Amino acid sequence: MAFQKQLLALSLLAGLVSGVSVVQAHEHMGPMPTTPAGKAVYTRHENFKQQGAAFKAVRDELKKDAPNMALISSNAAKLKSSADALPTWFPKGSGPEAKYETDAKPEIWSDPVKFAAAVKRLQVETAKFQPIAAGGDLGAIKAQAQAVGGACKNCHDSFRVPEEK
Amino acid sequence: MGAEPTEPPKVRAKLWDGPTRIVHWALVILIGFAWWCVKANQTEWHLWAGYGILGLIVFRLIWGFAGSASARFTSFVKGPRATLAYAQTLSKRSAVDVAGHNPLGGWSVVAILAAILSQVITGLFSVDVDGLESGPLSDRVSFETGRLFAKWHDLSFTAIKLLVVLHLSAIAFYALYKRANLITPMITGYRAFEADPKLSFAPLWRAGLVAVAAAAVTWWVMKGLRP
Repeated sequence: MAFQKQLLALSLLAGLVSGVSVVQAHEHMGPMPTTPAGKAVYTRHENFKQQGAAFKAVRDELKKDAPNMALISSNAAKLKSSADALPTWFPKGSGPEAKYETDAKPEIWSDPVKFAAAVKRLQVETAKFQPIAAGGDLGAIKAQAQAVGGACKNCHDSFRVPEEK
Repeated sequence: MGAEPTEPPKVRAKLWDGPTRIVHWALVILIGFAWWCVKANQTEWHLWAGYGILGLIVFRLIWGFAGSASARFTSFVKGPRATLAYAQTLSKRSAVDVAGHNPLGGWSVVAILAAILSQVITGLFSVDVDGLESGPLSDRVSFETGRLFAKWHDLSFTAIKLLVVLHLSAIAFYALYKRANLITPMITGYRAFEADPKLSFAPLWRAGLVAVAAAAVTWWVMKGLRP
């Protein structure tokens, strides 16, 4: 009897935990909208997801005992080209006024000088990162990856809607 | 004034053991601290707080099977009939003399532990938007899934906040309506009973053993489940 009660308690606990995960639907954007603003928001979201995935791939390798240097190098190249293309992801009219779900703040367009500087910082750091990643010096790679992440954060802090806290 | 009903003599006896009380208050402090870290953008500290909470929750779960009588799940997790029967006595002004969690309180403990566990598990896989600080198991999932875990982490915290409000409301209800002080026993470990419940308590060395096991599990998870 005592054992059954323990089992009941444990399975209820497990049920509650897994319930939280099951209730949530997987996030997806649905089909691409047809309006220019909608397309811009959609593409931007996809681009940032890829940029995030590339940076995560680097960070994941750096956590390992024996990082895959080729993987770090190829993702560093991806980060550089995506940072270079980033200014084209924010056409006028693709902000919150477009009525598509976006975390882009209106300040991107109302303070273009500051935004351009934040983007430039990412471009500079990713441009530095590419040769360092190809060089294979793990300590230097780690330090520069931190600088790239800092550039992401710097821009997010001013121009991305903060997550609920 | 008529004759006052004479109060039965009360016996002061131990109810909650040290480990249970320490885990309780350490969870209060660390969950509060982890919350503050998020507000203050101290993500690195937030992770450390999370590891502490993981250790505490692992300890409490093991203690629920191997700990003192009043800390064991078997002593306070009751079936629907007993829970309903207890719920029907809630409106009575006098507190029922249960030596430990009453059936409703028992379920509240289970819900709080489950919410904290889901909070810790979702945190382990979470990826933050800058990719700078991520959970120790985030390399097992894709960027998108990791971001999704971060959303669940937030959702789960809403559940914790709701449960805390419920918990505090229940304590206030027992204090004001039933004149039962639930707070002091959770601090001192002692409570006044009608009769000594003669609870049994686990020896300290066992708590030490469980603490070592919980610390080992936490260390292993921190290291990304690598040996």
